[in-house]
Amino acid sequence: MSEHLSTPKNPDAFRRRGFSGERLIRYFFASNAGLTILIFVLIIAFLLKEGLGFFPSYKRELEIYRITGMEYVDISRNNLTSHEQLVSVLNRAYYAEINGQADRELQRTKESAAIYTAMDEFGAALRDQYFTAIDSNSQELAVAESIKQKYSTLMPLSVKNLPASPNLTREERQAIIDTMLTRSIEIEDTPDLVAVMASEYATARQKFAAPLTANRALIDEFDASAGELSKRVSEMTKKVILTKDALAKADIIERDRKTLLAAAASAKTLEERDRLTKDAEAAIAEVPDVAAPMAELMHARSECASIHQELAAKVQELSAKLAFSYQQPEAKKLSSVATRALPIYLSELQQAPQLLEKWDSHLPVNLSAAIRSFLTGKNWITGGEWQDFYGILPLLIGSLMIAVVALIIGIPAGVGAAIYTNQFASAREQKIIKPVIEFIQAIPSVVLGFIGIFVLGNALRELSTVEALSWFPGFPMEERLNIFTAGCLLALMSIPTIFSLSEDAINNVPSAYSEASEALGASKLQTTFKVVIPAAFSGILAAILLGFGRVIGETMVVLLVAGNRIKIPDFSSGIGAFFQPAHTMTGIIAQELGEVPIGSVHYRALFVVGIFLFTIVLCVNAIAHRYSNKMKH
Amino acid sequence: MITEEQLIRKGTPKGRRLDLLTRALLSGITYSIVVVALLLFGKIVVDGAPTLFTTKAPFINISFLTDKNETLHVFDDSSGKLHQLPASKYNEYLTTHGEDAIYNHQSFSYSGGGIVGPIVGTVLLTIGAILIALFFGVSAAIYLSEYSKQSPFIHAVRLAILNLAGVPSIVFGLFGFSVFVLAVPVITLDPSSRTLLSFPIFIGDYFVSFQGWNSSLMAGCATLACMILPVIITASEESLKAVPQGFRDASLAMGATRWQTIRKCVLPYALPGILTSSLLAITRVAGETAPIMFTAAVAAKDDLPWEGLSNPFDILSSQVQALPYHIYTLAARIPNSEFTQRAQYGSVFVFLLLVAFMSFGSMILRAKLRSRLKW
Amino acid sequence: MQTAIQIENLSFCYGDKQVLFDVSMEIPAHQITALIGPSGCGKSTLLRCINRINDRIAGAHISGGSLKIHHIDVMRPDIDLLKLRRQIGMVFQKYNPFPKSIFENVAYGLRIAGMKDKTQLQDTVEKALTNAALWDEVKDRLHASAFGLSGGQQQRLCIARAIANEPEILLMDEPCAALDPLATLKIEELLHSLKSQYTIVIVTHNMAQASRCSDQTAFMYLGNLIEFDKTTKIFSNPSEKKTEQYITGSFG
Repeated sequence: MSEHLSTPKNPDAFRRRGFSGERLIRYFFASNAGLTILIFVLIIAFLLKEGLGFFPSYKRELEIYRITGMEYVDISRNNLTSHEQLVSVLNRAYYAEINGQADRELQRTKESAAIYTAMDEFGAALRDQYFTAIDSNSQELAVAESIKQKYSTLMPLSVKNLPASPNLTREERQAIIDTMLTRSIEIEDTPDLVAVMASEYATARQKFAAPLTANRALIDEFDASAGELSKRVSEMTKKVILTKDALAKADIIERDRKTLLAAAASAKTLEERDRLTKDAEAAIAEVPDVAAPMAELMHARSECASIHQELAAKVQELSAKLAFSYQQPEAKKLSSVATRALPIYLSELQQAPQLLEKWDSHLPVNLSAAIRSFLTGKNWITGGEWQDFYGILPLLIGSLMIAVVALIIGIPAGVGAAIYTNQFASAREQKIIKPVIEFIQAIPSVVLGFIGIFVLGNALRELSTVEALSWFPGFPMEERLNIFTAGCLLALMSIPTIFSLSEDAINNVPSAYSEASEALGASKLQTTFKVVIPAAFSGILAAILLGFGRVIGETMVVLLVAGNRIKIPDFSSGIGAFFQPAHTMTGIIAQELGEVPIGSVHYRALFVVGIFLFTIVLCVNAIAHRYSNKMKH
Repeated sequence: MITEEQLIRKGTPKGRRLDLLTRALLSGITYSIVVVALLLFGKIVVDGAPTLFTTKAPFINISFLTDKNETLHVFDDSSGKLHQLPASKYNEYLTTHGEDAIYNHQSFSYSGGGIVGPIVGTVLLTIGAILIALFFGVSAAIYLSEYSKQSPFIHAVRLAILNLAGVPSIVFGLFGFSVFVLAVPVITLDPSSRTLLSFPIFIGDYFVSFQGWNSSLMAGCATLACMILPVIITASEESLKAVPQGFRDASLAMGATRWQTIRKCVLPYALPGILTSSLLAITRVAGETAPIMFTAAVAAKDDLPWEGLSNPFDILSSQVQALPYHIYTLAARIPNSEFTQRAQYGSVFVFLLLVAFMSFGSMILRAKLRSRLKW
Repeated sequence: MQTAIQIENLSFCYGDKQVLFDVSMEIPAHQITALIGPSGCGKSTLLRCINRINDRIAGAHISGGSLKIHHIDVMRPDIDLLKLRRQIGMVFQKYNPFPKSIFENVAYGLRIAGMKDKTQLQDTVEKALTNAALWDEVKDRLHASAFGLSGGQQQRLCIARAIANEPEILLMDEPCAALDPLATLKIEELLHSLKSQYTIVIVTHNMAQASRCSDQTAFMYLGNLIEFDKTTKIFSNPSEKKTEQYITGSFG
């Protein structure tokens, strides 16, 4: 018996045989775990697949930009644009001065016109019906009469929703209303009083414009000085656009030909293949001539340069005189903008002849130029007739500035709340604070964006118009939706992340540390700030980095609230730059992906932005995890 | 020798003021966050509740929840009374009263009727995504917690989970668009011209074509499921790990296989935890907009997803409306006026209510679970 | 003999649960007093009452009697708790240096007490480390992390940290429980050298240690003080039957 126990009858009894179900189950689970790797690899693969094609295509676009001479024309065009912008600013300052002084008259005209327009529009539909009735060969005089009747009964209703008129006296307001109510349906003219006010305003303007005639003349002179340049630019533009269109067309034909050939290669029947090949052969594009137009452009090169020189001389002469001194704050502000911009414009003008001389259409455009243009380009211009540019800088700067605002608010708030909750709050307080902050995390970002548009944007703008705060740079805000508003909301989104991870980090500090500290006679405060927080520091740092990752990757809030202006903010106003609208990397993808043709350069550019974003977030998270691993002593 | 002077304080000690100041500052920060959160919530409730609730029984404006979304028409009638009618009712009014009876006509897109379309769409997307993510996520978690040993494969899986969790939602949108909308294989009679690869399978005239599912419920669910997968895996693994090792040892010692052990002694005890944490994942799936913008959602749709379909499976390949996308449309595409507020705040309120309900539910469930399951 | 700590009818509760019942004893100055007894008998709680570190625990409070240090009641409302704790050093069961350098660990108590002068700090730290018999081992790596030291060294570092404040009284809560026998021996030697300067109260599980190091021994059981006398007396001829049973190993 004992022998039987010590050696099993069958020595193979404990050995597993063959392919068991157990192993199959194991492989099933393993493959599911592997799915995460697959998804991660697919994300990278497809981002690259769609994105990498961008650079060759963009290179080709830049090549066309160069060989057609658009790049050459842009030297002059940019100067012309600067000139026009300057004229516009000078004009705005001029009119701001006049309108500022004639403000009362302006308001009165506006208000009276608003009342008139509101009442007129109310009756407009009926009046149209009335005129139709009359016009239809007196067949419907009865109808016209009934409409007339209706009109007189209905008009009093229009008084219900009239705009306010703080600058009109009650009598004036009533007079306009009465005129409108009593007059017949046929009359369409502006009531006398409204016309009188308009003419009063015109008189006031004339009066205030009188001392500024010299300014007016100078502005006009400045405006006119670019006439020659403007003429030249539009001539050149017409020419290069022709070349560009021809080239683009040739490219399309060539691409179609390739598609046809590819289709022919995979065609099922011989017949079909022949047909497709024939089509492809027929579709060989004529190579457009770029040399002749280019020669023409180059021929006029010195002429173009001299136009710039003359203009530069003229601008130099005028620039000292153009520094007007105005009284009205708005006019002052605009005038100072112009004064600051003038020297920059002038130096650009002076450099232009050199640039024109140096420019060479034969310089090759290589791939690195396309990459450089993407990474350091200051313009993201798409869908225009001229040249599209895909420069990530405005988007990157927008994203970063919003993240900076969010973190400046979010870090002290999140970390502070974590310290308070973990170290000082009673158990009862913790029971309130934690769920509320957890709830913030659960608020969908689109709801926060909604709140930003309808509540926070208005509130912040109103706050910025308060007189007592006007010393603050950037106040009053020009736009309701801007970097700061978006930053505030994203701060709210980053707080739960920073809070809960910091709180975890603080909580993980062994209580033996604080016990020892207190036994040494340290106060609670000293213990917290000298022992607990230094011990939790790397964990808190990780929390902040993960918060940053969340903020930079957030889409809906910035799409709704950042203002979506694709332009690098103007840093000349210092902190004021944070109160300008901006666009972001996430926002541009969300806004434009749905609208671009699949496979186009623009479409691929969005994927490259995606790759860029993905890389940033991945790096930030990797650093964060390194810090949070350090936490585990 | 300790003396009385050393230990007894006279007056306020020096550090006391600093101490109080710091505490006041920190508690100020903390409570201002709480107050801001409550204010935001309060604002939505105050402006949104009137849309959903009424003063008359049954106190809930059911039609807002069950009517389809329409354009809102606002006009005065001949007696000057203001009317606000959704497009369908407006057309009725137009046919009965004629165009002459309408003054000051204005129309506001998306602002009339109810929001049944977006609600149904969100529910479908969420259920689909969660089911997919739970199936794959729990299986992956079982592998990680029950089978895995240190190996390069496990290391790679953990790294992938960690990184996936941090990928921005818009990148998931790009991913979903380029993979599920444009590239995944379908079986079709007629491969599209933009297919990446197609070959016949010699069953009928069918082809397997890598041309994607287009913008559809399916594509949206798959994208959301990928996004939520790391959350589900992490939460499930935690719940599995919380089951005491002794259960497994005892079962294995009695000669049960691994799978029997998992099925009988581990999963039943981990399941409540897994489900609770997936409730939290639901709030995230329901709230995301960026991933579904290009993969599933449309701004306007006349029919509910299941209406007008010849084949019930077509629901999977139809586009849907979704609450978060609807709110985006209401916020971004139409102006804020007294007539649109009803739809705007009402939708946000309903959405927030849904999210709050689920997240508080999961919090309470989690607390209950923790107190009940103590080994 | 001078009395350092007077305990009169002390009762102590954690919330509703009373853990000390009417404990009365007088701990003499410049001697080592050992508290022994089975787990959960309240000896640690009693120790932690002396510097009121029990205040950290929500609901813990002294419910009766008094505990005086040199005739000053520690529960007096106007007592400066932080100064009290600076006068009473404490060493814990598990060595717990801060995640800082060796130097900063010892200087911590000095810094929070407001010492800023660098040379003074350095001198005091050196003195404390010397007194804790650690100076020679660490003088070359004062600014290295404290976690690089061995367990015994870390515990001596904690002792150095406690005595850097130059306290009157040193409380030790099973200081050798987490150490190996050699490190324990070193700590015990250290105790003897510290005795002349400090009043030491030590909680220990190890009866051999109590008999080796202490001058006085208190035996506690279920929150009551059973016997308190000279160590030689307790271990040779205890008055109480319970004490005898415990030290002979009949229970506990």
